[in-house]
Amino acid sequence: MTEFGLRLAISLTQIAAVMGVVVVTVLILTLAERKVLGWMQDRMGPMEVGPYGILQPFADAIKLFFKEDIIPAGANKFLFTVAPILCLIPAFIGFAVIPWGPNQTFEVDGITVRPFVISDINIGILYILAFASLGAYGIILGGWASNSKYSLLGGLRSAAQIISYELNVGLSIVGVLILAGSLSLVKITEAQTGGFWNWYLFALPAPQIFAFVVYVISSVAETNRVPFDLPEAESELVAGFFTEYSGLRFAFFFLAEYANMVLVSCVAAALFLGGWNAPYPGTIMALIGLPSVAWVENTMWFAVKTYSFLFLFFWLRATLPRLRYDQLMRFGWKVMLPIALGNIVVTSLAVFFYQQMK
Amino acid sequence: MASTATTKRVNLYEWFKTITFYEILVGMKATLSHLLHYRPVTLQYPHEKRTLPDNYRGMLALLRYDDGTEKCVGCDLCEAACPSRVIRVVSAEVPGEPTKRYSKEYYMDMTRCLFCGMCVDACPVDALGMTREFEWAVYDKRQLHLNKQQLLAIGDRSFPVREKRLELQHPNVAFFNVAFKHVPPKPD
Repeated sequence: MTEFGLRLAISLTQIAAVMGVVVVTVLILTLAERKVLGWMQDRMGPMEVGPYGILQPFADAIKLFFKEDIIPAGANKFLFTVAPILCLIPAFIGFAVIPWGPNQTFEVDGITVRPFVISDINIGILYILAFASLGAYGIILGGWASNSKYSLLGGLRSAAQIISYELNVGLSIVGVLILAGSLSLVKITEAQTGGFWNWYLFALPAPQIFAFVVYVISSVAETNRVPFDLPEAESELVAGFFTEYSGLRFAFFFLAEYANMVLVSCVAAALFLGGWNAPYPGTIMALIGLPSVAWVENTMWFAVKTYSFLFLFFWLRATLPRLRYDQLMRFGWKVMLPIALGNIVVTSLAVFFYQQMK
Repeated sequence: MASTATTKRVNLYEWFKTITFYEILVGMKATLSHLLHYRPVTLQYPHEKRTLPDNYRGMLALLRYDDGTEKCVGCDLCEAACPSRVIRVVSAEVPGEPTKRYSKEYYMDMTRCLFCGMCVDACPVDALGMTREFEWAVYDKRQLHLNKQQLLAIGDRSFPVREKRLELQHPNVAFFNVAFKHVPPKPD
């Protein structure tokens, strides 16, 4: 086997593994969301398919596969077909730079393999932000191509909302980037090794608590989740931009929304909560003499952080009503943006004086 | 001066509440407490059913006397009482008994019925009854257009204990047996 072939095979294996993990996570999320929402509202959630409804995601998937695929009259067929894919690809492509576990390498036939990150590019976080913004195209084009007023309004709202809150996400991350001095997610996570007091949420010289709050709120808004679900407000716009979609195309939009949630949670875990680092220095596995399986513990910590962030999404959804549109815009531009900007100023000053003191 | 100081302190307090998302946190605490003290109010309907109240107004049915004869005397009062024109009665003489009438045909369009029970109240011979059936979902709504045989069948399966035909009643007389319920029974 040539070197190129081997590299290709390794990369494809990694991509397949990551895609598998993300799709399984989405399957779990669709059930978990309905269950958690139900429990919080004194309901039971899905109970019929399988014991306690645990097979519900598969039933949903089968239903969506076999549903009739309708293209409404007067819709732009090409864009209507392309929009869900445009929405889905950016949601999945961001996972390429997420570090799932410790920065280990091993050699296969003279080729260095990093098992826990598909590609550690040096502009990782920028790449994620860029593709997350591209996802808005799918939503807007899907809304426009449907030839329906609800879809169009949902798409327009989504455009305005994503422009407003993408900015805040970007600016809230800048503080972390100043502290880490790198855009690579692997390097940022590595810089937070050794106990939760080194996570950028709490780390000296400039704890990124305000940035974290801004990031959480903006990422909820960016993924079109309650209480910022104006693009798909059921009571106002039927279903927003995917009103006219059915079957597999709807499944693509659905998958993209949940994959975006997972991506945003992974980024939050990696940037603010120390990624795969445990909240104590080192790992227990290394302490009891099994350093070769320490990656299991690290990966588990990453999963725990991601899933608790995802739980926060459900929790917010169960608690909060939807914002009005002007409130959304005012909150984004007049509250979140100044906080994020102020955080950048404070962080850069703190880092500057900290280095001067050293 | 003092008042402005208080308002300022109150405003500071409100401001502090706003920036710490106090109200939202209170709401999130409420939802979390419901999650932790999970007591669902859901009734898993097809598997477990709630007990119906005694005066439950379910599917309508036509009743019979204990000897199997229909109670209905074809008086059309139910048709007149029905607010949504569910019932249609075709009344006719009993063949060979010119003083006695019966409903030759009896139709109910249950798609329109609102289960008010006024037909049951109106019936002078208690020929109509409301059963405790409510699972009447059908794929074709024409299946909800019921005729006399179907209504009698519903009555047969829902009211196994039939009322006794009164002895006083001459077979040729349509005897209204409802109005005497308040009268104490004759001593034996």
